[in-house]
Amino acid sequence: MVFLLGNNFHELKLVKKALESFYALGPQTSERILAKYSIHPRAKIGTLPPRTITALTAELSSMKIENEAKKVIQDNIKRLRDMGTYRGRRHAMGLPARGQRTRNQTETAKKLNKVERRG
Amino acid sequence: MSAPNCLRGLGLGLGLTRPVALRNVAVTAAPCAAAAAAASFSTSAYLQAIIARPKKKAVEVAFGHHRAGKKMKLSKFKKANKGDRGKAPAPGERKAYRKRILLSNNNAIPVAGLQDFAPETMLDPSSAAKVLSIPDAVVDQLRTIEAFKTTQSWSIFRKPSMLVRAETVELATRMQGAAANKQALRLVATGDKLTGKSMLLLQAMTHGLLNDWIVLNIPEGQELTTASTEYAAIPGTANPVQYMQQNYALRLIQNFRKANEKVLVRLMTVFAHPELPQNIPVNSPLLQLANSAKEPENAWPIFQALWKELMAPGRGRPPVLFTLDGLPHIMKVSDYRSATFEPVHAHDLALVRLFSDCLSGAVAFPNGGAVIAATTRSNGPRTPSMELALAQREAEQSKSVVPAPEAFVKYDERVAAALRTVQVMRLKGVSKLEARSLMEYWAASGVFRTTVDEAVVTEKWTLGGSGILGEIERAALMTMRL
Repeated sequence: MVFLLGNNFHELKLVKKALESFYALGPQTSERILAKYSIHPRAKIGTLPPRTITALTAELSSMKIENEAKKVIQDNIKRLRDMGTYRGRRHAMGLPARGQRTRNQTETAKKLNKVERRG
Repeated sequence: MSAPNCLRGLGLGLGLTRPVALRNVAVTAAPCAAAAAAASFSTSAYLQAIIARPKKKAVEVAFGHHRAGKKMKLSKFKKANKGDRGKAPAPGERKAYRKRILLSNNNAIPVAGLQDFAPETMLDPSSAAKVLSIPDAVVDQLRTIEAFKTTQSWSIFRKPSMLVRAETVELATRMQGAAANKQALRLVATGDKLTGKSMLLLQAMTHGLLNDWIVLNIPEGQELTTASTEYAAIPGTANPVQYMQQNYALRLIQNFRKANEKVLVRLMTVFAHPELPQNIPVNSPLLQLANSAKEPENAWPIFQALWKELMAPGRGRPPVLFTLDGLPHIMKVSDYRSATFEPVHAHDLALVRLFSDCLSGAVAFPNGGAVIAATTRSNGPRTPSMELALAQREAEQSKSVVPAPEAFVKYDERVAAALRTVQVMRLKGVSKLEARSLMEYWAASGVFRTTVDEAVVTEKWTLGGSGILGEIERAALMTMRL
């Protein structure tokens, strides 16, 4: 097992997939991180030398990912609500914010439109 | 009873299961058959056959009626239990199976009178159109440097044997001529699919090993450029940054050492190599230098040191043969990315650069030798620059009109530079004499079960696109390929 930013990964896991398992880190960013540390896209995490793992952890800890990225979204929603905008109110009520109907099919809005949004 | 009534009666009999209905059917069935015989068209006989089928009810119970409407079926997404599937293959097992190379088959008939290749065989024009087998010691060496391919059908013959074609003799003669002049033969073998480009490389390597040349082989160009092996920037290089592929270099050195042990053990180092972590004193065997590559970290510096030693002038070094299969893969921008996310050109990968420099003549071979590359057709990326360069060289060689570049195609200047002075050998179909010789070998091995005569040879030769070797093999042996 390889320890990367507080998470354990199996040695046979692709480095790219391991990076993309973090919230707010997608294919574009992971490709750039791989290029920055000269890791080829098909590298398994078990083959990386310890200093690369350390460098990757340092890189990831300086990025806005996981809880910090979620916090940004929550802050945006909170700002809308504090300003008293329509979108803020709709979020607070758990209803669609962009003019969709509410008679039915509002499950996604109910799930996501919260002030303390999960993800 | 009219025919429509008869049908209705049967319809009832189908739907109901009560004994009354059955009795109805029994009563109506006999006259209905008579009516069917009289009428020009009737479905009654068919419907009777349905009644006679005893399993119908069981089928309806299991799957429901076909017009039963929509029903909720909770087991819809459940996977059917397919029983015990056995143990899954271990990691790497399937790949090993896919990549395995079988060079011998004990069920094949040994061919009587089959001669081995000797060091001078390929130089002798009289050995053209003969099938000869590779000596066992050389087979081991060739296997080590991965000269055999999985696509070649070695596994249906007793011993690896090859057809010496006119091009083989020509190539070997050119190699020997270049070595005698202490120069490098720089040649690209090209041609359509299945014309024997990789086989020609194999023959060149066989010739090299038989004549105690140093043979270095890159079995697949794509392994270097498809971003599937480790890479790292070489410290101190800039504009553009060079990259070493340390793991690949390590494997290359190890295979190279195993295959060329016999020659390396009697060559002594002439340079001190202070840049290497190991102390290799001057006048120690080259084998020791090659053996010192144990870790990927220092593989590339050791490779460079080895190359420098092999190229030492005037020390009685043997000629060097450097081969690569899959040339188009190294004549393009690779799949690697630089630290700033720019695509890395294949020629910025140090090993590829060494090969392309050898091909362009930028690297001299003071002890003579040959740099031979083969293009690939079935698994090649589109490389207009390489195609154009090869077409131009070919036209220059045959003194015909040199093709001009197209206006709306982006050409790669580095590729053009690498191929500016190479010789091009275009492989085409073999002659009927050569085809016949090969077919006689197949027949003697027991895999081609026909009398080899003029008619059969002509048939297969024609089916094989005027003697394209792989196509002849397809036409004659494909049913035997396992």
